[in-house]
Amino acid sequence: MISTGRRPTVIGLAVAMAASLAAIWVAMGTAEPAAQLPPLTIDGPAAARPWVRYSGWPTRDTSRFSSLSKLVSPPRPDTPRKIATPLAGDPAAGQKLVADRSRGGSCIACHVMGPAGSADLPGNVGPDLSEIGLAGRDDEWLFNYVNDARVYNPETVMPPWGTHGLLNEAEIGDIVAFLKTLTKPAPFKSKLDDPSQRPVPVEQRDNLDAMINPAMWAVEERAPALWKISGPNGSACVSCHAKPEQTLKTWAAAMPKWEARLGKVLGVEEFVTRHAKATIGQDWLMQSEENTALSTYLRYLANGRPIAVDVESAAAKLAYERGKELSNRKIGALNFSCADCHSADKGAQKWIRGQWLGELRGQLDHFPTWRTSQQSIWDIRKRFQWCQVAIWADDLPPDASEYGDLDLYLAAQNAGQKMSVPGIRH
Amino acid sequence: MAKAPRIKIPNEVRKGEIIQIKTLVAHEMENGLRRDQGGTLVPRKIINHFACTFNGKPVFACELEPAVAANPYLAFSVRVEESGIFRFSWIDDDGTTIEAEETIAVS
Amino acid sequence: MRPVSRRDALALPAQFTALALAGAPDPAHSTPAEAAAEIEKFTGGAAVEPGKITIDLPEIAENGNSVPLAIDIDHPMTAESHVSDLLLIAEANPWPRIARFQLTPMSGRAAVATRIRLAGTQTVRVVAKTSDGRFLTAQKQVKVTIGGCGG
Repeated sequence: MISTGRRPTVIGLAVAMAASLAAIWVAMGTAEPAAQLPPLTIDGPAAARPWVRYSGWPTRDTSRFSSLSKLVSPPRPDTPRKIATPLAGDPAAGQKLVADRSRGGSCIACHVMGPAGSADLPGNVGPDLSEIGLAGRDDEWLFNYVNDARVYNPETVMPPWGTHGLLNEAEIGDIVAFLKTLTKPAPFKSKLDDPSQRPVPVEQRDNLDAMINPAMWAVEERAPALWKISGPNGSACVSCHAKPEQTLKTWAAAMPKWEARLGKVLGVEEFVTRHAKATIGQDWLMQSEENTALSTYLRYLANGRPIAVDVESAAAKLAYERGKELSNRKIGALNFSCADCHSADKGAQKWIRGQWLGELRGQLDHFPTWRTSQQSIWDIRKRFQWCQVAIWADDLPPDASEYGDLDLYLAAQNAGQKMSVPGIRH
Repeated sequence: MAKAPRIKIPNEVRKGEIIQIKTLVAHEMENGLRRDQGGTLVPRKIINHFACTFNGKPVFACELEPAVAANPYLAFSVRVEESGIFRFSWIDDDGTTIEAEETIAVS
Repeated sequence: MRPVSRRDALALPAQFTALALAGAPDPAHSTPAEAAAEIEKFTGGAAVEPGKITIDLPEIAENGNSVPLAIDIDHPMTAESHVSDLLLIAEANPWPRIARFQLTPMSGRAAVATRIRLAGTQTVRVVAKTSDGRFLTAQKQVKVTIGGCGG
């Protein structure tokens, strides 16, 4: 899948190895990164093509909505829709609809809404609507807020349920009818259900204990074994990196970084693919089992180091600015940006259903992470992809340059955070 | 590649001390309800039995059901009166057995 | 590690939810009656008394796939009188039995720990049998989080 053009000659390989050894020599002698550039395969993708989501996932065409690589979502209306006569909706149908998870996460992912969903773990990114029936809002206002809240608040987090075709007019009418019945606080069965009283989850597991975190097998057994396996050209990682626990102690803390030869930001996972191919001839594509084990291992080696990525050089500065724009770009049918969930003035430190949303800072130091709900290790690019899937946006292949820019921006928000890899999360 | 079970046990204890032994075995514990990517039901395949003996005598055993989480973790206590060998065995639905052993010295 | 789709990995609650929405009877979800029957099999119908059993389970489990559980019973572990068996029941799992532990006087202490799967918010019940034929019980409710994102 990756074409290097021509096979490296013996002399070429020897030169590459000598260069790498020299790099290690310099790195061991000084605290500064080596002047030599690590060999990388430049052409071809670093992940499988064509990129497909797992075939078991419900196929949902979200191509007509913006993604991190294109801006195509339907425009928002300029003015609210006029509703002349009162809407005739079915409040019982509306009550079911607002709790229906198959309809884009459901309204109660973000709102407490009285008895909807049995008041079972509703979220609080949006205001509590349990008494909205007393707020004196007319049908037109309620309709437009659900249909496309941007006509009232251009900065809203609310998905444009009508404009993006997630709900039809009759359904919005049913929801409006239900909202008008809400006149009492939600009947929470316990304080755990009330998002304003629910204890914030604190991750207390010892993520570096193999008894607790299965990802430690990758670090303690799988990666060290892969390190010694000879590739097609007869050499292995260990041929140039005899003592990675000493020589690569800080490397991952400075990743991702701008790679001029590729014209993009290079993260650890893509580095593994391109470097392994160029040096030992292994095809360890991004998100393969081998790549995941090695990427986890390389980041693990830098545990305890503060994340410190370059955002000062000219190219890195531009990548950072692109990453910042991408993290604020509204994408998908649900029209969410990273910032909508993960920035302090919007969704961060609030609940979506029973899930706590964290700020951008603190979201990278434990990646790659074991996910107990998935029984697998997720690297940060995989996390990006599945966030997109969750908000009904087209995801990109893991080696997309947009993900690189986002990776760099996220790393900059995490500057100074001490690495502790692999993490363990739900 | 098979991963060896992991066992956490003190090397040395005082006679009569009650210790905690932690065990972990790599196993997906397929509960028989999951569908694979093609939509086919993946059949049940779990570790259904675990046993620990000390110097040949039974100490602790467990019958596991699909509700035990993947990579089964089992921790239990033992009062150690003498030096000896702990033997651990995990039995898979398919009849295969995974075994491990650890020695302990009593001071 | 073979890839697991998100829907597959959440097979327990997803199966339950799908069948519940379809309105069909749900064979993959046990009832309190089945759980009671399982306990009855274990006790042989003998009386069960509340016991000094500490159940360490989180109030909210962020994910039902791996919930840490620890049990500690205040009871001697001598040859004359010890906890010999522990039955763990999840009332709303596809099958009520979670595990059954066998302890001996050499256990020294009636304390076990493991990690379990819970298909949704429910009560976990522990029934302990002692060597002198008594049955002790305790229970704890766990709320299993419903995730916010659509899947």
